[in-house]
Amino acid sequence: MSKLYPNEALTEAPEKESNSELNRALSRRQFMAGSASLARGSLLVLSMPAILTACREAEEARSSGAAFQTLSEQEAAELAAVAARIIPTDETPGATEAGVIYFMDNVLGDERRVELLASLRDGLREMQYQVATDYSESYFHLLDVARQDELLAKIETTPFFNTVRYLTIAGTFSMPQYGGNRDGIGMQLIGMESRPAWAPPFGAYDADYMERGE
Amino acid sequence: MAEAALPSFATREEVDFVVIGSGAAGGIMAKELATAGHSVVLLEQGPHLTAVDFTHDEWAIDHNGEHMWGASHGHPQTFRKSESDDAEERETVCGYAHNVGGSSMHFSGNFWRFRPIDFMEASVRGTIAGTNFADWPISYEDLEPYYTKVDWEIGVSGLQGSWDPPRSREYPCAPMPIKGPDVLLERAAKSLGLNPYPAPVAILSEPHNGRPPCAHCGYCNGFGCEFNAKSSSLVAMIPLALESGNCELRTYSTVYRIETNAEGRATEVLYYDADGNEQGQRTRAVVLCANGAETPRLLFLSESSRFPDGLANSSGMVGKNLMFNGYSTTVGLFDEPVNGWKSIPATRVIHDFYELDSSLGFYGGGGIDGRHPSRGTPLGFALSSPFMFGGASWGSDYKRDLAYQFSHCAAFDGHTTSLPQESNNITLDPNVQDKWGRPAIRCTYMDHPDDIATMRWFYEKSVELMEAAGGTNIGGFYAEDGQEGNVHLLGTCRMGTDPATSVIDANHRTHDVPNLFLCDGSSLVTSGRGQPTMTIMALAFRAADMINQAAERNEI
Repeated sequence: MSKLYPNEALTEAPEKESNSELNRALSRRQFMAGSASLARGSLLVLSMPAILTACREAEEARSSGAAFQTLSEQEAAELAAVAARIIPTDETPGATEAGVIYFMDNVLGDERRVELLASLRDGLREMQYQVATDYSESYFHLLDVARQDELLAKIETTPFFNTVRYLTIAGTFSMPQYGGNRDGIGMQLIGMESRPAWAPPFGAYDADYMERGE
Repeated sequence: MAEAALPSFATREEVDFVVIGSGAAGGIMAKELATAGHSVVLLEQGPHLTAVDFTHDEWAIDHNGEHMWGASHGHPQTFRKSESDDAEERETVCGYAHNVGGSSMHFSGNFWRFRPIDFMEASVRGTIAGTNFADWPISYEDLEPYYTKVDWEIGVSGLQGSWDPPRSREYPCAPMPIKGPDVLLERAAKSLGLNPYPAPVAILSEPHNGRPPCAHCGYCNGFGCEFNAKSSSLVAMIPLALESGNCELRTYSTVYRIETNAEGRATEVLYYDADGNEQGQRTRAVVLCANGAETPRLLFLSESSRFPDGLANSSGMVGKNLMFNGYSTTVGLFDEPVNGWKSIPATRVIHDFYELDSSLGFYGGGGIDGRHPSRGTPLGFALSSPFMFGGASWGSDYKRDLAYQFSHCAAFDGHTTSLPQESNNITLDPNVQDKWGRPAIRCTYMDHPDDIATMRWFYEKSVELMEAAGGTNIGGFYAEDGQEGNVHLLGTCRMGTDPATSVIDANHRTHDVPNLFLCDGSSLVTSGRGQPTMTIMALAFRAADMINQAAERNEI
């Protein structure tokens, strides 16, 4: 089914609404954008990707503290700061500890993501313009986190933000060979242990089912 | 290994059969023809991956199209909802895996048989205006021995349920152990007086035919099996075809034309080899098993003065009546860990609604099973969870929700009928070409109003089940504006007795070209209820049997 493509761009930001509401009608549209349909004309589709090769270089680059391959130091600092607000470091590790910026540097270097990289750079410049006009500061990463969050809330419906969100999540949950998900931080965050094999019971409900002999 | 003994046939010398495509149908076809003693060249456009090549690499598979090649791999497709629209180029529309074993390599393995009603539904329910809803030229009884062959030779796990059609032999393997989402589904269904039962799956629950059982790793639907427990044609058929010594498998071989002679018989299959060189394999007969999108494209590409509208298309039905199957999903959250991300996609199914009551005012039917909302994939889940369950989509609240939801969620999915319509079809795109210069597959598709009504009915029934199961934050989706792509590619070279309204006869021989046979999703007359591969495989065993018998009688 089209479910094989859960990865497409999120062109619409989630609408804030009560979790307790049975939101059949509303979430249908968001759900489709989020997990089932192809979102046309977004940054992500333009970029839609392209086999990666030589990904281990990113991991090596990260662990050796080498310079970024694709991004400038300044671009990396900005994108890393946005990523750090999308999956923050709080009581548990976040995008920073997962090495998301190294994932971004790696995948944005793929020749088939040239357009995506160009769009991201445009988006970065627009964000920096907003940083300058709203806060009289030069760089997003120099703002305090309250101002960072305030600014991101203003741009959370833009293709730029959605693309950075996509790359942040991808960098947190893809295999470490691509440069992110360092030490399996992403899997640990969601309680997913990557094992080659499991045995039943898999969770609480099937354990109970077995116990009752249903 | 068997491959050391592989034959190597000269392209200028006729082989008995060229089989185009090594997927669910083509793999069976090659094995059945080769083990019957025929010389077979099996052409596959992708690589021959095996268990050691398969990984849990969601980024490569879902986000870089490692198996399902699209525009970024030089294989664009185009889509439009109706003929009056301009078709738009897409990464992919009609999805399928490009490798030996085709999409059976990565399928979910839901292996419901069709039921007797599926083959004669137009007679029983009546035809439907504006559609090509029709009976099949074969019955369930004709196909039953071949369903059983799939059970045993391919390897299916299950337990005869109250709703199952009659079978001549038990399942070879016991049902797979139940998973959390299906415990929730089963209990909810029973509370509503329904009859859930173990889902039949092409995944081994116990050793069978020298293959090991499933290890429940969780990376199943969309992923190749690292244990050979998923019953693909890749692991169940291809090794036997090669061991016969009569089958040569040529990978990275992309067919662009079937040549015919002055008598209207197929003589040669033209293809690009791995190095991009043009090759031609001469043959006595051709069996085209390229899938419901590629098969019609190749027939169109094989047009000639004798076959001006495409090969085997005197009926005008090549490419038409495309059916995707409908789909709905309903998601919810639960108090205890469900852990649907482990093991196989689905272990229970509700078939009480196989045929919806005609008093509803529309035609349709289907089944509902329990799953993880994102096939158990962490990246896919993290991208979509706020849109499923509400809440923040970034920041600490998002992160906290995500950490809880991934293991505490379940989905109840509906799998439903599609009606055959001529306006839903595969044609050649006049503007877009693939990396070989072949016109891109252009898909024109809009679900019939009855198909959408059926999806909505299954969506609403699934919400009712999710409420009965005690789920919270219930959300979901069905394609209320029509689907714009799918991996079920059915009906585009339909089977029938009348050459004016069908492409192949009941034995899969094209009405127009006596030594050209077609067998894949394109052969289906109606869509079934959303799980077509079991039937495609049964048709392949039956077609191969009919072809072998015809060869015996010297009637190819």
